[in-house]
Parts: sequence; structure tokens; C-alpha cells
Amino acid sequence: MGDAGALTVREATLVIRNQQGMHARACQVFVRTASRFRSKIIVGRDDLEVDGKSILGVLMLAAEPGAEIHVRTEGVDEAEALEAMRQIVEDKFGEE
Amino acid sequence: MKSRTLTGIPASPGFGVAPALVLRSPEAADLRRIAPEEAEGELERLRGALARARQELAQALVELAELGEHEARDMVEVELMVLEDPASFAAFAERIRGEQLSAEGAIQAVSAPYTERYSAHTDPRFRDRALDVAAAFRAVLNHLQRRELPSFERLQEPVVIVARDLAPHETIRFEAHRQRIVAIATEGGGRTSHSAILARTFGIPCVVGAAGLMAEVQSGDWLVVDGFSGTVELRPSAQALERRRRRLRLLTSHRERLAELRDLPCVTRDGRRVELSANIELPVEVEHVLLSGARGIGLYRTEFFYLDRPHLPTEEEQLEAYETVARRIHPESVIVRTMDLGGDKVASYLGATKEANPFLGWRGIRFALNHPGMFRTQLRAIYRAGVHGNLKMMFPMVTTYAELEQALGLCAEVRAELAREGLAHDPALPIGMMVETPSAVWSADHMARRVAFFSVGSNDLIQYTLAIDRGNERIAHLYEPLEPAILRSVDHAVRAGRTAGIWTGVCGEMAGDPRVAVLLVGLDVEELSVSPFDVPRLKSAVRAVDDAHARAVAQACLEMRSAAEVRAYLARELDPLLPRDLLGEAEPGEENREAAAAAGESDEEGVA
Repeated sequence: MGDAGALTVREATLVIRNQQGMHARACQVFVRTASRFRSKIIVGRDDLEVDGKSILGVLMLAAEPGAEIHVRTEGVDEAEALEAMRQIVEDKFGEE
Repeated sequence: MKSRTLTGIPASPGFGVAPALVLRSPEAADLRRIAPEEAEGELERLRGALARARQELAQALVELAELGEHEARDMVEVELMVLEDPASFAAFAERIRGEQLSAEGAIQAVSAPYTERYSAHTDPRFRDRALDVAAAFRAVLNHLQRRELPSFERLQEPVVIVARDLAPHETIRFEAHRQRIVAIATEGGGRTSHSAILARTFGIPCVVGAAGLMAEVQSGDWLVVDGFSGTVELRPSAQALERRRRRLRLLTSHRERLAELRDLPCVTRDGRRVELSANIELPVEVEHVLLSGARGIGLYRTEFFYLDRPHLPTEEEQLEAYETVARRIHPESVIVRTMDLGGDKVASYLGATKEANPFLGWRGIRFALNHPGMFRTQLRAIYRAGVHGNLKMMFPMVTTYAELEQALGLCAEVRAELAREGLAHDPALPIGMMVETPSAVWSADHMARRVAFFSVGSNDLIQYTLAIDRGNERIAHLYEPLEPAILRSVDHAVRAGRTAGIWTGVCGEMAGDPRVAVLLVGLDVEELSVSPFDVPRLKSAVRAVDDAHARAVAQACLEMRSAAEVRAYLARELDPLLPRDLLGEAEPGEENREAAAAAGESDEEGVA
């Protein structure tokens, strides 16, 4: 896992574990969580990168169960932000 | 133009015969390039349309919340988030200013990648959701072109709504007009799409996935939508239309009788009272129950909480639903059937896998006892919702005494737990069980001493007793409620119950046929629970006979050798007594078999 990234950038690779994947409701939870932080939150999947605070962006990931997403945070609260995003994915978006 | 029949997927049962009202989505939108000086004007139009679309979605959210449609509400909430996302407007603006697209063109350019990505997804669940993702954009396009959904207020004549797809925020608008919307047919969508679920909730017959629909149908074409078998007949011949109308009249004849029957008691001519209750699945169906003139709810199915959704229901969520139903029906009683999962009703997240013989497999109480956490959550919710004193519960698919003991043990633990926590609940909530396996019939004497009532689930009892898979077309015609073996099974269970001092009800489709209902009353069955739709005609059948006569008829039937003999005898004995329009042209038991065949087809669909 690459969460000890360079300088002020923090990143992590997370695996989607909930049964339905990042469907609409999971995206909603993801975006609402990301929006609590001041840091920039970038989410990537394969060669696609989107703004983690934008539902329009996160829906584009269409991450099914088992998919890997990369989360990168940059800013004043980047450590907490990354931890929160990791938590929400590991908690299966509060579904199970 | 020639008539033809398109085959789709049955999504909500019932027939609808009416001219089509085709809702065209604005696909052929204005894709022209604009001059740079037009850009600000286009952006202004877009702002207006966005605002109106948000308003429409916000309104739909309120209505879905009132209906308790949590999943559809989640979906619309996400649509609303999309439209409120500043990134959306920025993306549109970039296309309009930078690429000189019209507002319509900009929306299409922004939404196309989503549709592409979802429709080509390797996971079928994501493919099914392609429409949902596009729904938000479509709402804006509609408003942009002022192509709002037709004003149903002005609809005078019945119509069949035809569309490529319907989003939940669109379907919700049909609710207030269900008198005139006799059916829905869509080219896309699946049985589990939110709109199909809503159509079922509203009681509007619906077929989805009818390929070719949009190309073939024009507004005004007559359609016959069959929500049992999943077919849409286009421009049917005069005779075919007449046949369908006759069937429809039969199915709807109860409506005219509603007013006169609703407030009359369900008693035989010589004064024996029969409890007539209704079966429901969703809290909103309570309205149908109250209108039907049923006394209470004899079967409240709870599988809905577990299927077609990504996560387990919480205790609070279930408590709210059970409590709402109990309160609305008070002082009459409501029987909640605990989760009957497995068989054809599986949710992938529950860890169930495809079985070679799902109906002989991990289902009913077996499944529940294997998921004690989930089961306890439900039991807690039921006990807590029982505070009004009119709630009962029953276990499905009990086969052995040991299973019953184990389930009762869990109930005792849950009661103790709730008492310890000081949470309000009904410690004396009556517990019954379904009699739907031959082994339960033959152990009925032991089991009757441990429960407060029996409820015969005729659909499964028939299938297990006669060894008939209802979903298998080649043998579906052998599915036969009037087979003497079935009647004797019911008789045996009722007598065992009587000896132990408990009552027995019947809650399957079998009870929905007026002649069969009289036969069951004659077998000393005390409660009939059927779909709200069947309640009025059963009531008028019971009111037309004497208890003594019904008992004599039943005793004679128990001695017969075949279903054909029973059927002929029932027709001879009862038809002169029963109101003619109740019986229609069907032979006794025939409707059951038709319904069974239809249910079989849809079951297969659910498994595939």
C-alpha cells in the first residue's frame, strides 16, 4: 500500500468490498464523507482520475465489488481525510 | 397495421387494455452548433431547466419518502446531487462556451460517457443501473425542451403508458392517476428496476424489457398488456380485444361490488363468522386492504426488506414498517410472517448460492435459523411493533418439531433481552406457524400444542404434497388445489389444531377461488387470507351459503378420488347459490392453475 507517499501527498489503494460495489448510494456516502475535508481528494481507477467530492466524478468510476480504487489527498487535513476515506470503503459504505 | 405480440418480462401482475400514450425521450435533441454570442443565452436556458428539474426531483423525493420507498428515494437523492454538483454546471458551461454546443448538445455530451461506461460494464448490476445514472440528465433535457411529462390531470380516457425507460421520479407521478393509467410497458428495464417495484406498489400492471416496443407503437394504438405473462399485444384483432376485455371485466367486477360489500360482515347465511383477511407485502398496500373490506391482515410478507437492495434492513427500519401497518389496521389483527428467504427468493449478499433444488433447499425457517443475527433483528422489531396489542407472527416452512422449538427458543431469548433493555414490546405476542409441508401436516398434533394458530400456505403445500414444480411448464397443469390429497391434508391440520384448541387459516392462492373458499369454510377453516383484490368476491360467496351445507359439501369432497370429480361436484352444488358474476367462465380451481402457471414463469425469471 502506498500511503506513505512523497512529501505532502498521501495515497492509498483500496479494494471495494461491499456486495453491490460503488452504486449510487455508495457514491453518495463517499462524496458526503469526502466533502467534510478541506483537502483535495482525488480518486482514480485504472487510468481515470476524478474529484472525490463530486458525485458526477465518483459515479464515473463505476467500481464493482473487487475493483481497486486509488485515493490521493492533498491539503491541510490530508492525513485525516485519507484515513476517513479508507475507513468508509473498509466499512463497506455502512451497508453491512 | 398488423397485430403482433412482443414478449417482455412480467414486472407487475394484472391486465391493462387501452390505447397507448407514448412518452418519447428527447433523444433526437438539438445538436446544432451555436454562434459564440449565443452562449450566454444557452447557459441561461440551462440554468432555468436545471432549477425546474431540481424542483421536480425534490418533489418526487418527498412523495417517495411518504410512501416509504427508501431505495427509490436514495436513487432520486443521488440524481438531485448530480444536478446540484457544481461540476455538472461547469461541465455544461465548458461544452457550450468551448465547443459551441447548444444546451441540449452539452447535456448529451456530458451524459454520453456515463451511459457508455455503465451499459458496457462487466457487472450486470451496473448495466441495469445505466438508466438510473442517465435519469438526472434526462430530467434536465425534458425541462429544457419544456417536454414535461404529459399533464395527467387532463387525461380523460384510460391509457397504457409506453416508454423506453422510466426513472423513479417519473413513475412516482403515475400514482395519483392510477385510475386512468391501466398499465405500463417499457422497452428497457428489469424486474428489479425501481420503476417496476413502484408499479407493483401502485398496483399498475407492468411489463418491462419488451424489445421493439418504441419502434412499433404509436400513441393511440390499442395495446393489451399482460403483467402475468409479460406480453404486450399490439393492435389486437377485434375478437382478441373482446376476449381480453371479458377477462378484464371478470377481474375488475369486484370493484363495483366494493361499496355495497365493504361494510358487511363475512358471515354465512346461518350466522357462522369467517375471518376474511388480506395478504400484503408493502406498508402502502394497507390502503387496498382497508378499501377491500377485509378485517385484518392474515399474511404480511417481509421478504421485501431483504431483496432488491444492497444492505440488510435495520431493526428501526423494520419496526417503523410493522408499527405503521399495525397502527393503521388496529384494532383488527396483523400476522407478520418472518423472513421466508431462499427458494427462488435469494439476495446475493446473503451468501445464498444457486442450488439444484432451491425449493428443497436452504429456505424458510431453515435459512432464518442459520442466520440468527438477522433473524433476531427481525424478531426484536416485531415484538417492539406489537405494543398496540394486535400484532401476531408466524414462521414459514416449518418441517420438524425441533425447528419449531429452536425458533420459539429464540423468541424467548429476544423477549428476555427486550425486557432487560427496558424497551416497550408485547411479551404475549401470539406465535403461529405455517403448515406448508407434508411433514408439518403429519406432526400437526405435536406442533399445535406449541403455537397459537396454524396458517396453511396452500401454494407450497400443494407443490410439496403433489411433488410438482410450479415453474416447470410441462407439469404446471398438474398443480391442482382440488386434489383430494390436498383437501385431506388441510382437514388433518385443522382437526389436529382443534384438538389442541387452536384455529387454522389458509393464506394461499387456493383460498382466492370463491368455490374453493366455501369448501375450506366447510373444512372448518376459520380464517381466509387472500389478495385484497379477491376479498369482496369471497365475502359475497361466504354470505351466499349455509355453514351446514358447506360442511356437508366438504365431507363429500374428502371422500372423492380425483380433482375432476371434486370440481364437477362443487360446480353442481355451489354454482346455483353463488352470484353469477363472481364465477365468470372459469371452472373451479382453474384460475388458481392459471395464476400458478403465471407465478411459475415469473419465478423462473427471478432465478435466471
